[in-house]
Amino acid sequence: MPYTTITPAEAKPVANYKMATRMEGGRLLYIAGQVARDTEGNVLGKGDIRTQARQVFQNLRHVLQAAGGDLSDLLKITTYITRIEDFPAVAEIRSSIFPGELPASTLIVVKSLAQPELLIEVEGMAVLG
Amino acid sequence: MDRRDILADNPVEKRRGYMPGVSVSPGRILFTAGMTGRQPDGTIVPGGMAAQTQRTMERLQAILQHAGVNFSQVIKQLLYITDMEAHAAHGRAVRAAFFGEARPASTALGVRRLADPAMLIEIELVVDLPDNPAGQPLLEKYNVEDHGLDFYQGVIVNGGRLIYLAGQVANTHDGTVAGVDDWRRQAEQVYANIGHVLRAAGTTPASAVKETTWVLDIASWRQHGTAVRRAFYQGDYPASTLVEIQGLARPEFLVEIEVIAAVAR
Repeated sequence: MPYTTITPAEAKPVANYKMATRMEGGRLLYIAGQVARDTEGNVLGKGDIRTQARQVFQNLRHVLQAAGGDLSDLLKITTYITRIEDFPAVAEIRSSIFPGELPASTLIVVKSLAQPELLIEVEGMAVLG
Repeated sequence: MDRRDILADNPVEKRRGYMPGVSVSPGRILFTAGMTGRQPDGTIVPGGMAAQTQRTMERLQAILQHAGVNFSQVIKQLLYITDMEAHAAHGRAVRAAFFGEARPASTALGVRRLADPAMLIEIELVVDLPDNPAGQPLLEKYNVEDHGLDFYQGVIVNGGRLIYLAGQVANTHDGTVAGVDDWRRQAEQVYANIGHVLRAAGTTPASAVKETTWVLDIASWRQHGTAVRRAFYQGDYPASTLVEIQGLARPEFLVEIEVIAAVAR
């Protein structure tokens, strides 16, 4: 993988993510914020954070695979949720989907996403070898 | 250049005016600050969402023109919106007119407030630039307006290695949160952590190209965080965005700062 994980001795992450990544070569991929829509555009799991989170990470993976990569190529992700009480479920599903440590990561609770029924959105950058 | 639009097996994004993913061979990359409907005198353009979106896009256009490109080279756009319904009704079409057929990867967020309470929308861009970076300085930081504020409106990375930091919070090395209810202490710890990460990555604060500051209260951040931020960057600012949001990963966190930096190859 054409990136290096930065591990500062003096500062540690709060959870199972990388503190920073440095791209060493390859192509840079920016991924749009992914939401819990199916291929027809319908929002899945209205009011159900677990269903939405699973769909979002599946969609994220589909974009990476369409570009010739996978989750392990992510440099950074940002997870936006609308209700802080959903975070434990999101963290659990996210940890079960990533093969080991998460990329560099940020978690933000926003007022809303593009449509009221959306509970989670995840965007990311990846490096393709 | 050498841009590739990534279409997953999902036609929805195309209709909605964005791409699921865009990849480039990163020779030269431009990061813009978050732009708003701010006018030269510091006030926000009157006329609501449509007028603010128009002004925001014109200012971004000037930043792109300075770098010799237009909206068709945008890889990613991030929209911060205080009123999502007003944007759907009055802002989206204004934006679309600037993009034409171009489709960047996009994220749209509803946020509580922006730097000025009158701001309804803020937009930042990541842009793929043509030409070979060889022989050019690693970073070109520039303004297209004489705004007098603590950031650059555009930062170009010429052939560097990009460093993506996780959002930095006021976490200490023993895992406790520094400065519960204390904005100043949290600002100091967050910037100390950013400094540690940049050093470990082989670089310094001057190499920061983009900063996003997420806070629970903009007024408190201005009062207590600004001095800490100035001391950290010492005038060599990145392009930046300041946003007020509802919450962070732990209830004690008042601020989280994301930084993208670059080092020479």
